[in-house]
Amino acid sequence: MQNDVTIGFIGNPNCGKTTLFNAYTGANLKVANWPGVTVERMEGAISSHGKKIRLVDLPGTYSLNSFTMEEQVSRQFIISDEVNVIVDVADASSLERSLYLTLQMLEMDKPMALALNMMDIVEKRGIDLDLHRLQELLGIPVVPVVARKKKGLKALLHAALHQNDDGNAFNHQPLEIDSEKPREHVMIYSAPIEEKISKIEALLPEDTPRKRWVAVSLLMQDPELLEKYPIDLKSIADGTEANTIVNEKYDRISQIKNEVLLGKDKSDSLTEKIDNVVTRPFWGVLIFLGMMAIVFALTFNLGDFLSEYLQTGIDWITQSIGAGLASVHAASWLSNLICDGIISGVGGILTFLPNITILFIAMAFLEDTGYMARVAYVMNEIMEKIGLSGRAFIPMVLGFGCTVPAIMASRALESERDRKRVMLLTPFMSCSAKLPVYILFAGMFFEHNAMWAAYSMYLIGILMALLLAWILHKMDGKEEEYPLLIELPAYKMPSAHTVWVYVWEKVKDFLTKAGTTIFIASVLLWILMHFSMTGYTEDISTSFAAVLGHGLAWILIPCGLGYWQIAVALIAGISAKEVVVSSITVLFGISNVTSFGGMQQLHMELSAIGFGPLNAYCMMLFCLLYIPCIAALSTIRRESNSVWYMLKTAAFQFGIAWLTTAAVYQLGLLFIH
Amino acid sequence: MNKLSSVQIGESVTVRKFDLNAKTALRLQALGMIPGTQVTVLQKKGKGAMIIDLRGTRFALGPSISENIEVSYAK
Repeated sequence: MQNDVTIGFIGNPNCGKTTLFNAYTGANLKVANWPGVTVERMEGAISSHGKKIRLVDLPGTYSLNSFTMEEQVSRQFIISDEVNVIVDVADASSLERSLYLTLQMLEMDKPMALALNMMDIVEKRGIDLDLHRLQELLGIPVVPVVARKKKGLKALLHAALHQNDDGNAFNHQPLEIDSEKPREHVMIYSAPIEEKISKIEALLPEDTPRKRWVAVSLLMQDPELLEKYPIDLKSIADGTEANTIVNEKYDRISQIKNEVLLGKDKSDSLTEKIDNVVTRPFWGVLIFLGMMAIVFALTFNLGDFLSEYLQTGIDWITQSIGAGLASVHAASWLSNLICDGIISGVGGILTFLPNITILFIAMAFLEDTGYMARVAYVMNEIMEKIGLSGRAFIPMVLGFGCTVPAIMASRALESERDRKRVMLLTPFMSCSAKLPVYILFAGMFFEHNAMWAAYSMYLIGILMALLLAWILHKMDGKEEEYPLLIELPAYKMPSAHTVWVYVWEKVKDFLTKAGTTIFIASVLLWILMHFSMTGYTEDISTSFAAVLGHGLAWILIPCGLGYWQIAVALIAGISAKEVVVSSITVLFGISNVTSFGGMQQLHMELSAIGFGPLNAYCMMLFCLLYIPCIAALSTIRRESNSVWYMLKTAAFQFGIAWLTTAAVYQLGLLFIH
Repeated sequence: MNKLSSVQIGESVTVRKFDLNAKTALRLQALGMIPGTQVTVLQKKGKGAMIIDLRGTRFALGPSISENIEVSYAK
């Protein structure tokens, strides 16, 4: 289409920018990286006002200097011709903080509209905002929105598109505060600073775009621009200007705030009350552990309850397909492949959908309420002891959901060393894909104590990650160079829409995985199990799978896992951890593994080969610790930009898994005898 | 001179001087924390990790930051 418009969304972290962005685009997103850096770039396309509109979500940032990767990509994108209009998203309940970025943006002289988000919170706190006056003072359209309730979206889009039209005289024509006269810039500094800006402007090449912004940035000692415009700054500036500029911007913000903010700003008493409890020394840690315990209890109990219904449905489908195949006289190998290969593999995994959905709903809840940032503060002491910032704990908690987004969340960490370490340790956090393994093996061998056996995996995972981090810290002996510094956003009820987008994305991933990776792995495994050197065989013990399993099982003997079927399942499990379960069901020919009958049958088969509770516990432990799945490995490669680092990680995990499991098994044997 | 880490919960102080590496100082500057800024301590843990109110927003700081910021009490 001819009249394409690109709108860039910018704002502070936690201002609700992504919620607003999602409200426009739905879950229909294109997620990629900004060129050259590992900062996520989200894009969506919509049609409105007869135009095709491209929306780009810029990384959340507090300022637009070029000190961090996020700031650099945001800035380059804003300056580029690629973007036509900027929507600056401000948290109206924290106006002072938000307007700082707005003032910086205005200096960049780009068509822009201000979205004042969280207007419902502002009203609740009894604040009145004179939006009309704010608009006059800033010289750009100001549109109140409530992103969580999708309020004000149309007006905002309309205002933004209007800013794109040529000859919009209102654009960037701010007024004075004490008179109704127009003012040249929103931000006019004190005389000494303005003088320096003029001097620099005179020294810059004639055709420099955005001269005033370049001059201010040079006074701020912006590294990127200092390199680009090598003028003799020392004769003009003495280096103290940066503080003055920041101060004067905040002074201006206070003036604006005093003018437009009417009514009394009651402080957010709810956030204060909650924080007084959850961030207490010592109690904070206990409350966090308690919350995680509730999350997992819900995942196991409520999840299992719902799984049974799903299992009934899948059983019915299996029987129908089996009957259908029999009625058309399908070849026995074909119905065997479909029923025992594909359905028991893929279907066996699908029954875990309720557990996984509940886990992700809980994770979305913890993130969207704002509690997750508190966890960084609460865990800071413990994390500092092992040489990491409290902030590094957030990706590790996310690892309970899925290792892939958790490793990607490590991007938020400033220090390269922290990132690498988090990448190495996050796979030890028990992800949702390992859940089916625990539910199956704990359910079979530990009966009433099944939940405790599974819960212990989570605990061992955390302790292992912390212990290894501590050892690595003692080995390199370096001090943390990026100490904890994180915003604690006001608590809010999570929006159903945001939770839905988050959970649906994960559920979609899970279903896709069941349809692709797990499907292919099940078929491949079936082929390996039913073919030998002499061709098709019904006798699994002579198949390729058995040959392969026997060849590798000896490595696992000290761990109590020296069975060829287990070896095959563990290798297959590198494709995706759920495949450990689907492989076992295929290897032992169990079609309904989550049902009581299915479990009993598998229990009998395993007991027959001498596989008891101790072996089962070792199996769970080994699955917890060994090589992460292909998706996680490729994320590690992408994020570390190194195949070597990925291989090292995989070898490290395997070594730790083998040593730990072998130790537990050998000790366990001593106790049993 | 007092350190921020020694300020009690509920007290408000004015930031005077930083003794931090350039990177951390620049991060604080981007958040509007520079000499002359007033902050209030909202929560605090033994070693000096604290939650402060900075220009209307809550931030959590590690002890290695709060120990290296000099502050003065308002008169």
